[in-house]
Amino acid sequence: MSISAPVNRRSNLKIAAGAVVCEESILKGDITIGARTVIHPKASIVAEAGPIIIGEGNIIEEMATIVNRLPPNIVDSATPALQIIGNYNVFEADCTCEASKVGDNNILENKAFVTRDVELTNGCVIGAACSLIEPEIVPENTIVFGSQCHRREMNDKPYPQIGQLEYLMRVLPSYHHLRKANIKVKSDPAT
Amino acid sequence: MEPQDIYYDKNEYVETASGNKVSRQTVLCGSQNIVLHGKVIVQSDAIIRGDLANVRTGRYCIISKNVVIRPPFKKFSKGVAFFPLQMGDHVFVGERAVVNAAVVGSYVYIGKNAVIGRRCILKDCCYIEDGAVVPPETVVPSFTRFSGSPATCTEDLPECTQDLMMDFTKNYYQHFLPAKM
Amino acid sequence: MAYLFQPDYVRYVCSCGSLKPISKMYFCRHCLKIRCGYCVCHEADSHYCPNCMENLPSAEVRLKKNKCSNCFDCPCCFQTLCTRAGQAPLRPPASSADAKQDVKATPKKVYYLSCSLCRWTSRDAGIPDQYVATGGWPEQENPNSTRISTLIDFHKVLASKEKQEQQRKKFPTKRTFLQYEKFGLTSAMVRKRAGKPLEPKSLIQHSDQPAPAVANEEVDDLPAGIFTEAVDITKITTLEQRLQHPDVQAEKINELRPQHKQFLVKRSQRCRGCEHNVSKPEYSPQSIKFKIQLAAFYHVPEIRIVTCEPLRVGVASELLLKICNPTQHQTQISLLPLDTPTTPTTVTASGEEQELKRENIQMGSESPNLLPLAVRQISVTEDPKPITVVSGAEIALPECPLFLPPRDDAAEYDETNDASHFQDDKKVVVWRKGNKIVVRLHVTPFANEQNKGEPVIVGFVLRHGYVNTLATLEHKAPQKSELNVQLFLTLGNLVGTA
Repeated sequence: MSISAPVNRRSNLKIAAGAVVCEESILKGDITIGARTVIHPKASIVAEAGPIIIGEGNIIEEMATIVNRLPPNIVDSATPALQIIGNYNVFEADCTCEASKVGDNNILENKAFVTRDVELTNGCVIGAACSLIEPEIVPENTIVFGSQCHRREMNDKPYPQIGQLEYLMRVLPSYHHLRKANIKVKSDPAT
Repeated sequence: MEPQDIYYDKNEYVETASGNKVSRQTVLCGSQNIVLHGKVIVQSDAIIRGDLANVRTGRYCIISKNVVIRPPFKKFSKGVAFFPLQMGDHVFVGERAVVNAAVVGSYVYIGKNAVIGRRCILKDCCYIEDGAVVPPETVVPSFTRFSGSPATCTEDLPECTQDLMMDFTKNYYQHFLPAKM
Repeated sequence: MAYLFQPDYVRYVCSCGSLKPISKMYFCRHCLKIRCGYCVCHEADSHYCPNCMENLPSAEVRLKKNKCSNCFDCPCCFQTLCTRAGQAPLRPPASSADAKQDVKATPKKVYYLSCSLCRWTSRDAGIPDQYVATGGWPEQENPNSTRISTLIDFHKVLASKEKQEQQRKKFPTKRTFLQYEKFGLTSAMVRKRAGKPLEPKSLIQHSDQPAPAVANEEVDDLPAGIFTEAVDITKITTLEQRLQHPDVQAEKINELRPQHKQFLVKRSQRCRGCEHNVSKPEYSPQSIKFKIQLAAFYHVPEIRIVTCEPLRVGVASELLLKICNPTQHQTQISLLPLDTPTTPTTVTASGEEQELKRENIQMGSESPNLLPLAVRQISVTEDPKPITVVSGAEIALPECPLFLPPRDDAAEYDETNDASHFQDDKKVVVWRKGNKIVVRLHVTPFANEQNKGEPVIVGFVLRHGYVNTLATLEHKAPQKSELNVQLFLTLGNLVGTA
């Protein structure tokens, strides 16, 4: 994805054309949202410590929270920390993601929690009500599940949720007011 | 203990002719697809996703604060479909629970912070404890109590569960009163 | 208390001496006694699969080893596996010739099992995909199955012999006397008279007996690399995973196989005193209705704590109790001190009060258990356990009896206040609606050094009128009786002294 259009100076919220962002979502701070990303009502994205860049085809459900949080004990950092979310990730209802870097095709299930020092690579599933609170880089295709946060490597990669995305992009506009896209996207010739 | 009276702000709640009490601070998406069958309480910041598929509840259901009621989806070879979510009578859903079930029977108690996975079927008279995580597509049989993550059956419920739940939800409704100005 | 999520603040004393909340008790209307889960016979009525809700006759269940043939548990996290449909997996074709074939062949639907919690799939274990949605999964053979089946066969022979022996015992009882006259008392007969089994040596023929298991000291050596090779924990099964499948106990993750789902049972409860059912559910696993439902919740007045003032030693605190009459008859209630005898009483035709005994309770004399004597479980009755709860407060009980109207489901819609029908002492009865009243009592905690920090418990006896509607030949009118049940209320901690 490459962003080419002039950015609206007044707002630091940048929504690529083709993204579906419900007006009832809570967006604070410098946020860039990629094409084909769906943000449900009452989802919150808070860019507190620095900008958040969200890639393409992500699903962010109601009550899901993506926060670029300041590290503890630091009130105002000189260098803003960047939080990058890749493509085709799913943030299910009531999950919290503070991870500084999230790759592609990850799923955070209901009530999952990932702290800021964690990096999610690709194809990881953080199971319902599981918390990752220690700094680490989660290897690809890892699934974390259960109260003891058991881990496994999945043989089946989670597929990108294309079907769900298509359905949501068809249905949500007829029920919700959407935020307007303010940047055009030149899709890469490769994709 | 007997339930204490719970007072709500009269201006916050809308009461319908059938006795539903719905907070104005809720998010009822696709409200034309949501049917509350009477004497249902929906408390503040609850989210019901009628836009995804139909949601029907029976009588005397209590949807607490910050609950998410969300019809489940299923993948098919030709795309995705969201399934309607059905809830029976006398169902209690505790604060901040996420309900993704296909069917919730009657006389069901879902505790605080519980997660009911996609397309679960909760049969009549079952109890999901606080914080339990019921994995997707689980069937919870009648007269069982599920707890833990992943939730497993930990105990049987008494034979009079039906009347206990009826008593509980009716009492809750009767004690849910507008605050006196 | 009576709600499912609360601790048991109000406990009733069962006939066996256990303390339980009313929701977990039964009331046998034949013995007019309270029963609980500890003092009834539990019988498995029907078996069903908790996932697909299929129920099978018990003979078939035994054949299937109490497991469902269609539903599987994940061997990794023990959750239910789902059948997923997919196209035949598109593997990168090994050669161009294969690729051409793939294009020509119509995409066939294949099915595999997948766990929605840990994402384990039958493909992980290398189980081939199936072309039908249900069944057809390869069964895992128990390595010890031949040995087990020979042992089972042997025990079947033993069982049938024992049965024959028992039948033989039944018939000649009359003749023993004669034999005794003729030949004197034989040792076998002495054994029989003493109730001991016949000498076992004649039962077993040595030819049938399977070879006994042999203990062996020689064990295979450990593999050479065990101390040098690094352990990959992600490839080794956990203890739980092994114990979930005790006959194979796979060591490696990829040796795990889906497990058939265990059946659940629906149970009925039978009173040990009179062998009548106190609870019998409907056969269908989907149904929550009961054919027989004698839970105490529907027959004994229920008491709930409404509020209790903070407790201080030596100071009377106000205690509000809600009493509810669940029956279809008006009842009279009195609260009596804890040392009141709990034997039930009844009023005879002449107006005298008499103690209710087994003889004058209305009930059929013969046991209602329809099972033949030979298979029937013999009721074991124990003496009641002593109650160890210590009352930590003095409770002032009302002297006048309290009247409770019958339960009326329509009353809920009735807005009129019917409190005026009853002349209540307003000092005692503070609220009345339908079949429920709230009474005001006073409790005065004792100074108790031993139970410091423990919540204060008070006890009393609840006497309630009970109308026995069991119609029998001798008694035409329903019999009225007075029943007594002990109760213990947990009120809360002391907040200080006066």
